[in-house]
Amino acid sequence: MAPDWHPVRLACDAEGVFLAVKEIRRAKTRFGLLAGAVGLLVYLILFQQALLGGLVEQFIGAVKHQSADVLVFNDQARKNLEGSIIFPEQLEAVGQVDGVDTAAPLGQDTFTVNADGVETDAAVFGYVLGGPGEPTTVTSGRLPSGPFEAVASSRNAADGFDIGDVVEVVPAPGTDPVSFNVVGLAREINYSVSPTLFTDFDSFVAAKRVVNPDAPAVLASVVAVKVAAGASAAGVADAITATVEGTEALTRQAAVDEAPGVSAVRSSFSVILLLFYLVVPLVTGLFFLIVTFQKAGALTLLRAIGSPAGPLVRALLVQVLAVVVVGGLIATLLFWLTSGATNSLGVTVQARPVLLTVGVVLVLAMLTSLAAVRRVLRIDPIAATTGAGVQV
Amino acid sequence: MGLALRELRRRPSRFTVATIVLTFLSLLLLLLGGLLDGLFLGSTGAIRSQPADVIVYSSNARDSFLRSRIDDTIRATVEGVDGVDSVGGVGVLLLGADPTRGGDTVNVAVIGYEQAADGVPAPPAPGTAWADDSLRDQGVHTGDTLLVGPARTPIEVVGFVADTNFLQQSGLWVDLPTWRAAQNANRPDSFVTDDVVQVLAVRGSGDLVAAIDAATGGATSTLTKDEAVYALPGVTEQESTFNAIIYSTLLVVLAVVGLFFSLLTLERTALYGVLKAIGASTRRLFAGVVAQAVVVAVIAFVVGSLLAIAAGAALPADVPLQLTVGRFLFTFVALVIAAVLGSAISLRRVTRIDPASAIGSAS
Repeated sequence: MAPDWHPVRLACDAEGVFLAVKEIRRAKTRFGLLAGAVGLLVYLILFQQALLGGLVEQFIGAVKHQSADVLVFNDQARKNLEGSIIFPEQLEAVGQVDGVDTAAPLGQDTFTVNADGVETDAAVFGYVLGGPGEPTTVTSGRLPSGPFEAVASSRNAADGFDIGDVVEVVPAPGTDPVSFNVVGLAREINYSVSPTLFTDFDSFVAAKRVVNPDAPAVLASVVAVKVAAGASAAGVADAITATVEGTEALTRQAAVDEAPGVSAVRSSFSVILLLFYLVVPLVTGLFFLIVTFQKAGALTLLRAIGSPAGPLVRALLVQVLAVVVVGGLIATLLFWLTSGATNSLGVTVQARPVLLTVGVVLVLAMLTSLAAVRRVLRIDPIAATTGAGVQV
Repeated sequence: MGLALRELRRRPSRFTVATIVLTFLSLLLLLLGGLLDGLFLGSTGAIRSQPADVIVYSSNARDSFLRSRIDDTIRATVEGVDGVDSVGGVGVLLLGADPTRGGDTVNVAVIGYEQAADGVPAPPAPGTAWADDSLRDQGVHTGDTLLVGPARTPIEVVGFVADTNFLQQSGLWVDLPTWRAAQNANRPDSFVTDDVVQVLAVRGSGDLVAAIDAATGGATSTLTKDEAVYALPGVTEQESTFNAIIYSTLLVVLAVVGLFFSLLTLERTALYGVLKAIGASTRRLFAGVVAQAVVVAVIAFVVGSLLAIAAGAALPADVPLQLTVGRFLFTFVALVIAAVLGSAISLRRVTRIDPASAIGSAS
């Protein structure tokens, strides 16, 4: 029976694979450690990517998925919805700016509510029914058509925010509560990771008054603007900021991208993810470079007895592929196991990002393994006859 | 061990790639930890500074400062509870502010208080404030006036205090009447009357939490100071998420060190056989492996720390990165432990080397 490394057997591609698999089977601990490390690193990349997407969506989904083309903040709010109030004269002035079709108040605050018998936080948005600021991702039920009706975030349907549920705003002592009847559900409209309700502006004002009975006035948080046909949202936003004193107008997308915390979270995670993407191929490349060094003697001998470089290189690349694929499987398993515990943060397993991440990691790992490939290609078979590179 | 260290000195290139990988991992650990510390310290300073054993909220506020309202009646009840030594009202208002000397709008947390806090002197005169150091970093000086909120309420800075921010906004510590004036001018929808504060900072002895809530008949929700810190939105979630990532990264460090040194040990099997044959003990050989792992980890930590400091200076100001001495110490100790444990994976192979293998064969 011919030995595993016989040159005839190595001459075809299948034998390269055979050699690779044989080596992995004989060095399970080494390859297991590498696959484990790659798996953990890919898991951390997957988890953080999902966390970033989920957090951004859950923090600011309500702004992203409402109908206003432009949101006008008080310029002191630094683009923070919760820190913004709009005075009546500012609201009126926004309506006069060229390119504005409709300007309507949009209120937002966080309340303590009673949902399904449990007290919890809920973000409530109040908009003028039929005007800009209504949720755009209703998946079931309908939009509010009268006072104290609300669309709720579908993510929280099971927590007392489903269609037909009544959500009561916990009032200040000595004040009667107000309640919202949930008539519709919309996806990805959460704000600050809280259950979120969209209701009409007057009902929002009523809710504010039951928790702050001493309030002399309840003002809009921002102005929701629908731009006129043919006008550009960015142009109208610039015009509003320039002409209405004390305001800062942003397009819907800019309001999402520049929301306090979102850009900071994005840039922080980007740095960390970049480092993780650098570490995975470095670890893989390091491993195969060292292994190739260690096998230099055997590889030189194989070349000397006629094995072409191709199958040897293919064997190496097959091992890289195997390590990354096994690592990817470990990562996906870990990701799936932990996503349940972090579902409240919007971390969910989706095939596309998993495949994309594993694909990118594979390409990067292949690239860094080129150092090992180069080393294999540079082996001079004549060295076997001189003893160089062969340990005796 | 001397042999191992000599190898490190004479053939440093052999350890270069492993050191680079560990440097990246150490940088990652420091950045992750720095972000966690920045988020935690920047959000919780105002509560940690309170001279209090417990914080008392109104029960309908779900332990939120901004939604809590405590009036004089409740306060009098709390003051009368056995074991209560001192009670101070606190109110917080989150706004933007413009320095009159010019410059960018800054985020401030106007914190009204009565009792001198840890590191914060007694309340200043009406209309003036102690400002957090983070405002000085943004160009605010003693004597500057900040126009706070949409109503442009003027507040003059009379000095600086450290580590007193609230939810990533710079602390501006004022007396209660100044806080109320700013609150009512800028947030009329959250108006507070003259007898109202948001929470009470209470110092005393005994089981204050149970005693206070019982005395107020459930009108209050009382938390220890530590609980109040973790009741802030996002603090618990941030800490658990970041710690999970940090500890997973440490596992990767362990695997990388284990992998690298098990490969090196494999390569040195023949050499170790010879060394054992001439009397070197397994313990001595293994100590050499561990020493190399520790040296590599220390070098990686030093370079990673320098890179982290550079990254901290280069990152945008809105990234809440805060590199503390404690974080450097934690990362150093964790890296060294992971390196020692990782290198221990080679122990079995070193132990199994037979000195007889050195006779007749070197491979």
